[in-house]
Amino acid sequence: MDGQLQFIQLEVMVVVLGLLVLLADLFLSESARRSLGYIAAGSLGFVFLLSFRGGYTDLAEGEAFGEIYRLDGLALFFKRFFLLTAIFVLVFTVDFASRLRSGVSEYLAFILFALSGMMFASSANDFSLLFVAIELITVTFYILVSFQRHRMHSLEAGVKYLILGAVSSAFLVYGIALVFGEAGSLKFDAIRDAHAGLLGSKVFLFGMLFVFAGLAFKISAFPFQVWAPDVYQGAPTPTTTFLAVGSKAAGFVLLIRLFGSVVPELTAQWAGMLMVVAALTILYGNLCALPQRNLKRLLAYSGIANAGYMLMGIVVQSDEGTAAILYYLAGYLFTLVAAFMIINLLTRDGEGEDISCLAGLGKRSPFLALTLTLAVVSLAGIPPLAGFFGKFLLVKAIAVKAFGDAGYFALLAVAVFGVVVSIYYYFGIIRTIYWSKDTTDNSPVAVAWPTRVALGLCVAAILYLGILPNKPINWADAAAKIETK
Amino acid sequence: MMEPTLSQYLLVSGALFAIGLLGVIVRRNLLIIYMSLELMLNAANVALVAMSRFNGNLDGQVMVFFIITVAAAEVSVGLALIVALYRKRQTADVEDLATMKL
Repeated sequence: MDGQLQFIQLEVMVVVLGLLVLLADLFLSESARRSLGYIAAGSLGFVFLLSFRGGYTDLAEGEAFGEIYRLDGLALFFKRFFLLTAIFVLVFTVDFASRLRSGVSEYLAFILFALSGMMFASSANDFSLLFVAIELITVTFYILVSFQRHRMHSLEAGVKYLILGAVSSAFLVYGIALVFGEAGSLKFDAIRDAHAGLLGSKVFLFGMLFVFAGLAFKISAFPFQVWAPDVYQGAPTPTTTFLAVGSKAAGFVLLIRLFGSVVPELTAQWAGMLMVVAALTILYGNLCALPQRNLKRLLAYSGIANAGYMLMGIVVQSDEGTAAILYYLAGYLFTLVAAFMIINLLTRDGEGEDISCLAGLGKRSPFLALTLTLAVVSLAGIPPLAGFFGKFLLVKAIAVKAFGDAGYFALLAVAVFGVVVSIYYYFGIIRTIYWSKDTTDNSPVAVAWPTRVALGLCVAAILYLGILPNKPINWADAAAKIETK
Repeated sequence: MMEPTLSQYLLVSGALFAIGLLGVIVRRNLLIIYMSLELMLNAANVALVAMSRFNGNLDGQVMVFFIITVAAAEVSVGLALIVALYRKRQTADVEDLATMKL
């Protein structure tokens, strides 16, 4: 048993940290509580470093707790990814604390609990752990989304997320029940052995379809994307960031593990359906983003489109495709954190998240203007930034398969069309930053130093992933190879 | 007395799931919608218990415990949220949830 607990040491640390934050709230003065977020972020940084310790990485390729928990390259990559995301979100939260009005420590603790759920999800090797981890994420997010109880938008977003999230959970659970009935087990290893013989069984296919629906909700893929714009817009901005990066990545790690390694033959049989889903997601996200004026809503639609691009990596069913998703997600993390942090800084007092709040930013704060420009250009996929390389790797993975299959060519065409459309609305943001005349406020924007450091790190990472991709590509390749017994 | 077969259990669970889904789509009151959601989760529970019994594998019944626990957590959060909304707007009707548009 002692040996098994070693496997979940990072998760245990995160949960304990969350409980400590809740406890510390009782003993600290009002002013000391403000820095609690920084302390929690620092502790998470320590946990992040511990994940590179030899004693922990040596456990890789091992399974624990009756094979329901698996630690491999993919799980390690995503655990570090989630830790990094949470560090940024915690730093962000301190900036946002005054607007939460009350319960800042609880907000921090819920971020940590959601983080532990994501880390468990990355190691799920059994439907029971998959379900519990997903629900741990979703239920904490119900609270995080509706945390600003005094704001109608936040409450409305929370209720919408609650109802649609619960419907998707119900589909997931029912799918799991059907798969369990046909495959006779909840364990991924057993389902991997049994699934090839079950491809003719309608019950099994319906079960997997329901499970796919439950996971597609998390990544906001078409036609399960309706919640995304309202929830992104209404939620507190740190929650939106965590939702857009962490929760989406959690959906992707489960999709990669399930459809890439557990039921590969089913994925091959469903390639056509998955292609249509990816194409429609890309089209829907990009076309609906065109008329948006609210920045958070615009990024929600762009997030839907990005989920579509990443789904292409699952459709191709190759290690290159998986590695491309990982690379894309890494770039996506830094661009979105930078973009949301800056949006938050500019809308500090009011509700105005309208695109016009960016007007004159080029003069007010050249550093913020440059950072936001880099983030947006990276999202648009223009070289030489992180977003370009992610898209390039995805397109390359598709193109390798495209010869001899017209469907992949069509998907490729849709993806390229989506990128072209997206340049239009991303350029609208840049135009407002530098060339918009209707600015009323010319005061410089105050930025706290930890936020400045976080933004600097994001810029460095966006440039690094775009200009020197060799090393990160090797990391992604190593993480993408899922060994099976 | 005849033992019920697996397909009969599944028929009941499928009917429960369909009724729940219909309730979520058709009803306009948040509390009724939430009740229908619980029905959908319990449909899955019935299916899991029945399949577990007929497969001779108890994993499914253990899964049901997890689902019940998670559903309890979800209800506590969900009802708190609906109450908070009711205090703010004096309504629990989904038609009134449309303050965010384009």
